[in-house]
Amino acid sequence: MTDTAAVANLKALREGYKYGFVSDIESESAPPGLNEDTVRFIAAKKHEPEWLLAWRLESFRKWQTMATPHWAKLRIAPIDYQAATYYSAPKRQNAPTSLDEVDPELLKTYAKLGIPLNERAALAGVAVDAVFDSVSVATTFKKTLAGLGIVFCSFGEAVREHPELVRKYLGTVVPQGDNFFAALNSAVFSDGSFAYIPPGVRCPMELSTYFRINAAKSGQFERTLLVADKGSYVSYLEGCTAPQRDENQLHAAVVELVALENAEIKYSTVQNWYPGDAEGKGGIYNFVTKRGACRGARAKISWTQVETGSAITWKYPSCILEGDHSVGEFYSVAITNNYQQADTGTKMLHLGRNTRSTIISKGISAGKGQNTYRGLVRIQPKAENARNYTQCDSLLIGDKCGAHTVPYISARNPTARVEHEATTSKISDEQMFYCQQRGLSKEDALSLIVNGFCKEVLKELPMEFAVEAQKLLAVSLEGSVG
Amino acid sequence: MSALAEIQPYIEAFKARAQAGEPDWLWHRREGAMQRFAELGFPTRKQEAWRFTDLRPLQRVAFPPAIAVAQATTDDIALWRFKGETYRIVLVDGAFVPALSAIDDLPTGAWLASTAQTLREWPELLDPAVRETDTVGAQPFAALNAALFTDGFVLALQPGVALDRTIEVIHLGRAANRSSQLRNVILLGPNSRATVIESYAGTGAYWTNAVGVIGVGAGAALRHVKLQDEDTAAIHLGQHRVDLGCNARYESFTLSLGGRLARNETHLKLDGEGAACGLFGATLLRGEQEGTIATVVDHAAPGCTTREYFKSVADDRAHGVFLGTIGVRPQAQKTDANQLSKNLLLSRRAAVDTKPELEILADDVKCSHGATVGDLDETALFYLESRGITVAEARRILIEAFAAEVIERLEDDADLRAHLGRHVARWLAAGDSR
Repeated sequence: MTDTAAVANLKALREGYKYGFVSDIESESAPPGLNEDTVRFIAAKKHEPEWLLAWRLESFRKWQTMATPHWAKLRIAPIDYQAATYYSAPKRQNAPTSLDEVDPELLKTYAKLGIPLNERAALAGVAVDAVFDSVSVATTFKKTLAGLGIVFCSFGEAVREHPELVRKYLGTVVPQGDNFFAALNSAVFSDGSFAYIPPGVRCPMELSTYFRINAAKSGQFERTLLVADKGSYVSYLEGCTAPQRDENQLHAAVVELVALENAEIKYSTVQNWYPGDAEGKGGIYNFVTKRGACRGARAKISWTQVETGSAITWKYPSCILEGDHSVGEFYSVAITNNYQQADTGTKMLHLGRNTRSTIISKGISAGKGQNTYRGLVRIQPKAENARNYTQCDSLLIGDKCGAHTVPYISARNPTARVEHEATTSKISDEQMFYCQQRGLSKEDALSLIVNGFCKEVLKELPMEFAVEAQKLLAVSLEGSVG
Repeated sequence: MSALAEIQPYIEAFKARAQAGEPDWLWHRREGAMQRFAELGFPTRKQEAWRFTDLRPLQRVAFPPAIAVAQATTDDIALWRFKGETYRIVLVDGAFVPALSAIDDLPTGAWLASTAQTLREWPELLDPAVRETDTVGAQPFAALNAALFTDGFVLALQPGVALDRTIEVIHLGRAANRSSQLRNVILLGPNSRATVIESYAGTGAYWTNAVGVIGVGAGAALRHVKLQDEDTAAIHLGQHRVDLGCNARYESFTLSLGGRLARNETHLKLDGEGAACGLFGATLLRGEQEGTIATVVDHAAPGCTTREYFKSVADDRAHGVFLGTIGVRPQAQKTDANQLSKNLLLSRRAAVDTKPELEILADDVKCSHGATVGDLDETALFYLESRGITVAEARRILIEAFAAEVIERLEDDADLRAHLGRHVARWLAAGDSR
């Protein structure tokens, strides 16, 4: 896209939160509160097998013994876990076989969101497993994928149809008791996506899922599991929008990735959930555990995230580099404006020989936003010749925001090389002046500079996402200058 | 030992203490500090600032304050003496040794004496140094120090006084399973200047717990060198609290060589516009040593500068830790700060943890930090070997050069650089003779 086109697009998007609407769909919810009965209710609703219920209950018991983590640089109002609803599903969910059977209200919602379902899906070349609240309602491109032996379906469907795969990998990357929010998710997860790429298969299209939080007071607990078998490749896109709400909504997802020998997973996220209004009222709590394991030699996992939404973000997509020569990557742009808070980063655990990792993190703080990069690079004794390069840059816009960098580096092997660099600065007056002097408005100049600042990360995004991400940056920083 | 049993010997030691002519205000503060220590207890690894520190050597046995004054001769301190004429304070087991010290013929406007003497003759000087800061915050060892300190040194300069000689302070630990609780004070009036070298050494399994309170007034300059060369069976916990006024300059260099467990902490506040600090250091570790450098720099005023550069070398099973925080408050616009931590990992069983941290709340700032961990450069080793130098010698040369690079930061003082260089060479030679 040319710069002028980019600028035109940015202008088009400067209209407040585009996706702030509530669709009117009757949902069948679990009564508020959380106890073993809630867990059983969810399992029963979803007709889950006994082993999964047992797994959920085990997680729930672990969760009960755990305390909310406080180490992040976040101010979180106490969350009443007993006041939330843990299950809500659109009422008509009798397995639609075609789009005609899907609730028209739902389709309208998708239309507003711009999800390429139906023929738009074909044009965009994207297979969508649309998660609306908690239950998947339509899946496209299934046949094309099935032809290649690729399984791409809702989590619930995977439990029914591929229990052996789910059972083999569920909880192996993020154990049930990994952390408070992961344990909560393991107990009450509603639905999510599952993908399995068989050995040697290169997935021909970007797999994509849209998450939406819809019904009031319902936390959403997706569970995503991607398994790339030996020598396979998959690129997965995750995008999120949510309706405008005054109440804080809890979102505690778990994403597990498994890459076997020579496999590669590229996982891209654009997160633009409702960040709360300019006074810091409302907004989504986004407490996510994302982790990938490179289980075999030369496996590769690459995380790319653009975090512009949510009132609070607590998220550390990580890589466990077990296989020799495996590679982990983390590219991140996090923006906080108004009263948003983000504590995000990554963990790179080097276990195997010749493992490599790259971390590029760009944090932008504006308004009264607080943005923290928190990362860990750990080189275990057996990680011969491991290599890490980390770069985190922070950009400050305005004097009421904060940018923090908290990297941990632990090295246990002398052959390893670890490098970390970080800078914090503001947009220079010279840059702004140059752009304005060329006829750009202050806001356009800002967008341009910010997009340049994030370029290293944005270029890692798949094409469709890159465009959306650039627009989002502009929307998110609205009103932060001038 | 249980948490209570751990602190009990120190509480007993405090109870056994007499007020001994100390002013009431100090006694009250000591009581408050002791209470605070009893509440806090020993830090645990759950506390972020202590997560990498293994305090077990300090917890397994009690180190009540040393009582008997061991004898020491000029030979005992010769190794740490700084070249040329100096003002000198020598302490052994936490008590001043007048015979080895040299604090006569100070220029007018300069006060240099032991802490005990200062308490007798000019107790008000200690007032800013034993503040409620010991009773608030999670600093159990500073609180314990406030309650139990026996001696130390106090340097106070009137405005405009510039000392012609370097001040050297040498502390020797001798008494096994005893602690030396030292409280040191440096107060520089506006536009004064001084260079202070503190050296800590000794023999045996003792514990040195030193707290230094430093105030550098407007336009004043302090160069502060610390040589931590304790016995490898000893424990050293040192903390400097530094406050800088307008346009004040503070430059420190910490060379940490000894101690089985050593921690050098600096809490520095840039409190006046245009103040500048340079915190430099090298930590050399081998055997089972654990060495921590912790710095907390607080930019509380606009237009201040921080330069931090720390290096560590960890061989054998040693564990090197760097914890650096630079905080920039909202009002501290035009801050220019950078921080660098470079670490050499020389053995398969050695470990390095480094955490350079930035916390920035002002926008018009220039802040950066960096960290590296790795082994010696293979190409450099190969180059030296190809010139006929043995591997061991080549490694020694490269380690020496690694440390020298940060010592070079003391740009304008060749004697000081040579002094530190000698100790680095001695450390390396000790490794060769093993």
